[in-house]
Amino acid sequence: MILRIARKELTEMARDGRLRWATGIVVSLLLAALAAGWTRYRDVQALTVAAQASARQHWLAQPPRNAHAAAHYGVYAFKPALPLSFVDRGVDPYVGVFAWLEAHKQNDFKYRPAQDGSAVERFGTWTAAAVLQLLVPLVIVMAAFPTFAGEREQGTLGQLLAAGVRTRDLLLGKALGIAAALGTLLVPVALLGAVALALGSEVAALGDTWARVGVLALSYLLYFTVFVAVALAVSARARTARGALVGLLAFWSLNAFLVPRGVTDLARRAHPVPSALEVNLAMERALSATGDGSDARALQDSVLRAHHVSTIDSLPFNFRGLTLERGEEHSYHVFDRTYSALDAAFRSQDRVEHALSALSPLVAVRALSMGLAGTDYPQHRHFAEAAERYRRMLVRTMNGAVSSYAPAGPASAMSSDSTLWASIPPFEYDAPTVAWVLGRYGWALGVLALWAAAAGALALLLARGGSPLARERVR
Amino acid sequence: MTSILEARRLTKRFGEVVALDDLALSIPAGDVFCLLGANGAGKTTTINLFLGFLAPTAGQALVGGLDVAEHPLETKRHLAYIPETVMLYRHLTSLENLDYFASLATGRAFEEDELRAHLATAGLPEDAMARRVGTHSKGMRQKVGIAIALAKGASALLFDEPTSGLDPKASNEFSGLLAMLRERGAAVLMATHDLFRAKESGTHVGIMRRGRLVQTLGTADIGHVDLERLYLDHMRD
Repeated sequence: MILRIARKELTEMARDGRLRWATGIVVSLLLAALAAGWTRYRDVQALTVAAQASARQHWLAQPPRNAHAAAHYGVYAFKPALPLSFVDRGVDPYVGVFAWLEAHKQNDFKYRPAQDGSAVERFGTWTAAAVLQLLVPLVIVMAAFPTFAGEREQGTLGQLLAAGVRTRDLLLGKALGIAAALGTLLVPVALLGAVALALGSEVAALGDTWARVGVLALSYLLYFTVFVAVALAVSARARTARGALVGLLAFWSLNAFLVPRGVTDLARRAHPVPSALEVNLAMERALSATGDGSDARALQDSVLRAHHVSTIDSLPFNFRGLTLERGEEHSYHVFDRTYSALDAAFRSQDRVEHALSALSPLVAVRALSMGLAGTDYPQHRHFAEAAERYRRMLVRTMNGAVSSYAPAGPASAMSSDSTLWASIPPFEYDAPTVAWVLGRYGWALGVLALWAAAAGALALLLARGGSPLARERVR
Repeated sequence: MTSILEARRLTKRFGEVVALDDLALSIPAGDVFCLLGANGAGKTTTINLFLGFLAPTAGQALVGGLDVAEHPLETKRHLAYIPETVMLYRHLTSLENLDYFASLATGRAFEEDELRAHLATAGLPEDAMARRVGTHSKGMRQKVGIAIALAKGASALLFDEPTSGLDPKASNEFSGLLAMLRERGAAVLMATHDLFRAKESGTHVGIMRRGRLVQTLGTADIGHVDLERLYLDHMRD
């Protein structure tokens, strides 16, 4: 019986011209977003690989020179895009994808289209994730708003109940019908995406990619379930189809815009984060605060005493290497303090967001989507920390080389060659695994599952109590 | 003879308003009982109570001996409901509508031949069967509704103003359909304003006023003119 109802809903939806247009447009947008995301991913991936290789080439090809000069020459670190990033670009356009690693400085990431682009670019970052998060729910609303309310208005609901149909069967049949329609539209698109992924992934990473795809599919499935259930619940109680549509559009805009926007603003207000400019100025001040020379003199005195010599030229190593390394260590403290304070503020903001995500399933699915695509802020930090570790290793090695130079002598003697450059391994980055992501976003899956269960229960409850009469009237 | 539709002290109040007051009614197989009365007399309320769309304030509505309030699904197996305009899915054809409602009501699948036979019995023209009902006239929709009742094998039919808005020819065809349903042993309860059709096709008429059934009589015992005079007498304050 449920199948019979589902089949009739499908037939009706297929014959509804407006719905055909709306779904056609949404599916086209989804395909276009996927195609654009995919070509972009391929281009960026190719560029990244080429740029990383050429940066390495330049590093190795340095002429013999002072190791500290080499540290200033530096290398570039590129964040490798995960294949799934073509579905969701996340924060990448805002935080950048590569950094110049050099002595003394922890540089900001570069290539931030959101910063460099024109105003149009802000709308240009239209990804598959946006279609899935905003437009597919709109299609669900359009398909589901008349299910009960429209039949009540037309009088067919009375006809059905007079035929002895259980409201529960009716609800499940209608839910199944909408699910089947959505499946018909989205499954082929998802398969297409999966083929693209399989073609674009390195074989070694495929296992992790599929795990991410699986969780991503589950997340969106739960998200759509919420919408189908809420739409059926509202339709089951609304007196008219119009009323159901208005109510559902209100829910849609609350979910899509008002709550997420409000949550972000609230989190910012509760845990303010200084602007990038303020942070950089504060760091500059902290870094230059050392330069009064008294520390350097104290260091020199203690080193000379320890080695029982009276001048730095008599030391068994080049003293400059040591001062450079000490300078670096001081800057590490400043960087670490600044970034851990920033991260703590971001984490506090996240906690506010988690708490308020109960108000809008979009907040949860957005977090999951970015996390699984590898384009969220935590994974950006994960990469930035790996790059910083590499930078410190590189600078430390170079400073060590400076220390090994003759304590005194001509500048031409204080030089290293390609053996030193080659002793630095190429920068390699292991992106976090799906388990790492789930550890951070388990809450979001939980929130979505709760939403789906609660909305389903509400729909069952309201459908059971719904009267076939538009209003109880006396005649 | 056991009655298929029965009302026992059936009462429905909406707040202060008494829509139906202490109705007693018994309709055996083969009877066509016509409820007459002004708008608001309680005719549609009676039908909604038999359908279980409304819960009675007091008393019982019984279908096939079962209390509607206690057995909402079982009692509907016997019932067919045909409102003034039979509500169907406009994007589906007559056959698809019939197939949908009949298979949901009976829980079994139907062959197309069987569905066509029911539509033909209900008098739907052959060329209208595979057409979407969005373009159907009121009379054609009614025929699809009756075909649903036939496919379901309903033993009790509830009509709510079936002839209002029908042209004289369709109205006449409706009389023929009622006779056919009677012969098949169905019990019919019909709310109507159509005194002529009630006298012509009914076996009994009941006159309602402000929720009360004020008089019941057999149509064989009274002429057209007398029925109209009697009705108007009851409507006078």
